[in-house]
Amino acid sequence: MDGANGEEFAAGCILAIKTTLGDEFEGQIITYDRPSNILVLQEGTTKPGARRNLRLLKANYIKDFTLLGRGEDPLDPKKCFIDLAAIQAREDAAMRQAEIEAERIGVGVTAEAQSIFDALSKTLPVRWDKTVIVVMNEVRVCSPYLPDNVSGGTPAANERVKKVLEFERKRLQARSPGQF
Amino acid sequence: MNPQQAVPPRSSANGFGRRRVDRETGTRMDNNRMHSGKPTSPNFGLANGSKVGGVAGPSHDRLIYIMTCLIGQRVEVLVKNGSIISGIFHSANADKDFGVVLQMARVIKDGSGKGQKPINDTTKKPQTMIIPSRELVHVFAKDASLSSDEFVNGHAREKHNDFLIDSVISHPHHVEVERELEHWIPDEDVPACPELENIFDGMWSRNWDQFETNETLFGVKSTFNEELYTTRLERGPQMRELEIEASRIAREIEGEETHDHHLAEERGIYFHEDFDLDEESRYSAVRREADDGRYEENENSFLDAHNVETFRGSFGSAASRSYSEVLSKQVNSEALASLTCSSADEDSQVPADKDAHVSGFTDHVTWPTSDSLVKSSSLMDEKNRLDEKKTKDQDAEKILLNECTDRIASEEAQTSKSEDVHPSTPLKGLSASAATYDPSSSNQINKCPAGESSDSAISGKLSSANEAVNTSLRPGFSTSSTSEHVGAGSVSGGALSPSSSVGSLSSEKSTLNPNAKWFIVLFIFDIQEFKLNPNAKSFMPSASLRQHTPVSDGSFYYANTSHMHDISMGIGVSF
Repeated sequence: MDGANGEEFAAGCILAIKTTLGDEFEGQIITYDRPSNILVLQEGTTKPGARRNLRLLKANYIKDFTLLGRGEDPLDPKKCFIDLAAIQAREDAAMRQAEIEAERIGVGVTAEAQSIFDALSKTLPVRWDKTVIVVMNEVRVCSPYLPDNVSGGTPAANERVKKVLEFERKRLQARSPGQF
Repeated sequence: MNPQQAVPPRSSANGFGRRRVDRETGTRMDNNRMHSGKPTSPNFGLANGSKVGGVAGPSHDRLIYIMTCLIGQRVEVLVKNGSIISGIFHSANADKDFGVVLQMARVIKDGSGKGQKPINDTTKKPQTMIIPSRELVHVFAKDASLSSDEFVNGHAREKHNDFLIDSVISHPHHVEVERELEHWIPDEDVPACPELENIFDGMWSRNWDQFETNETLFGVKSTFNEELYTTRLERGPQMRELEIEASRIAREIEGEETHDHHLAEERGIYFHEDFDLDEESRYSAVRREADDGRYEENENSFLDAHNVETFRGSFGSAASRSYSEVLSKQVNSEALASLTCSSADEDSQVPADKDAHVSGFTDHVTWPTSDSLVKSSSLMDEKNRLDEKKTKDQDAEKILLNECTDRIASEEAQTSKSEDVHPSTPLKGLSASAATYDPSSSNQINKCPAGESSDSAISGKLSSANEAVNTSLRPGFSTSSTSEHVGAGSVSGGALSPSSSVGSLSSEKSTLNPNAKWFIVLFIFDIQEFKLNPNAKSFMPSASLRQHTPVSDGSFYYANTSHMHDISMGIGVSF
């Protein structure tokens, strides 16, 4: 659909849109930027002030749309203030958070391995060493992460890791049977 | 909106060029044309100035605004091939085209269609991804805040999140909805609990000497000598005699009469009115040693008898001496200066009916309750009761009177008159002071405390006196409360073991007249103060008993001498 065609929508209109990729969503228009051809939609018609889902959609992917209604402009120009410092801080926080989470993710490991890692990390300090799970900096569990693959560490630690591993495997299997 | 930063932006994602991210090694880029880079700082991509502002007008501004709002937010980007990339929105270029830069981005869903990816696909580390405009289909931000308020709130929220709450730490995205709970079975190889039962076996067999062990292990020499802390018992013939003697003494003590309910219970003595005591009074309540009419006649006799008995041989100067000692000790900490009312006031008012007062005093000296000023029948009852003990207590009264008057006199004369026994003068003094309170009946009040003091003095058991005084005196002030029989016997109550009976006065239950509300006026004065402090302030009636009863005669008065607290409790009957 031609991006510029009939896209002179006022803010606040509620549309139902179908994209060329087959997605469908509804939302209220916040703005439409012609130069970049981006339509900003707001989903979740909660009261203003609450958080909502935003969607920035490239207009040229709109296959079809329906005007569902007209509402108020969800964006109050008078209230649009931006605290850059706050934003920056938020981004930093998010980055930190993401980094922490990223540490937990093994690179080049299977999803199963990742699940095991996550399960172990709940009670034991674990970290990735390439594709090897290192528990308590002593015990190593390598692929395919079976109890037999547990090596290293004191016998007690070793045993403990083995047990936890078995348990976690059983639990994972119980939860998603046939997956492993 | 104009860019706030002057950072040279990456103007166009398209022109960025391919770059491998440094930190990631060996990871295949699933999506073609995904670039990695290290963005420096957030910017809006409006590299070339604020040209944009004028072009698109408000709607563009809005876009910019929204994009700014999204910074730091986790977003999902759908790209042309159907893959979804999730990352933290870092910056975007909204100049001509719309490209976004995501940090810590990962491909969530791969729609490249390059065959079915097996489940065991390798996971990737997040990287910074630039999604060029032509790839981008849409950017989806969940729970985005658009207004400044939300910013603030959200910011605060995230700030809190920085504190790594537990759920964050425990990987919320791996949350398990349902867990199969299994009964815990201890591992076989885990050593069973050490035999706790056996730990202390042989502890009492004295096979192990801790001091020896300590010395061996650590070279610590101990100077412990058990006999420093206990008495060594020598087994032998003499021991038997000692044991017998000890048992005798013990029996004697335990068989003593006591009016203290606690002691009585221990010894198995049951007062016949015990049923009146509820559990609280028996085991829990604080005993305020004020008489409240609960004191029964027999108890009175008890008390009197006990007093007399205790001080049988000591009436007289010796007794009076002890009185002063006792009293001073008692009143040391608290002291109602009631009687201290003292000279100043005395002089002013000399009641004509001091005779009556005197007699009243004599009558009621030992019986605090009886001294209720109220002219009521119940009073008369009390009087009768008192009369019974009157005879017995005469001596004590006299002595106490002496004390009282002495004190008063000492104010002027500053001499210890404990040796003095002049019934007349003490009475005068007392009545005088009494008069100051209230001509009508205060004398009785005065006497009452005096009696109390004497009682306590007589009993000579000061130990608790101070405490009793303290405790009883304080509440005594609120005599208005009917049931508040603040330890008139406070001084005495504490002092006596029979003071328990006196203390029982404080109990609310009056056996005399259940309908009558008794309150005790107690005057406790500090003998020492009297002796030493000629300037002891004379009491002044601070307030009349706020009884809506004729008893309002009884008034509170307190002396403000140094540490004297005012504790005047009025015992009276209100109806």
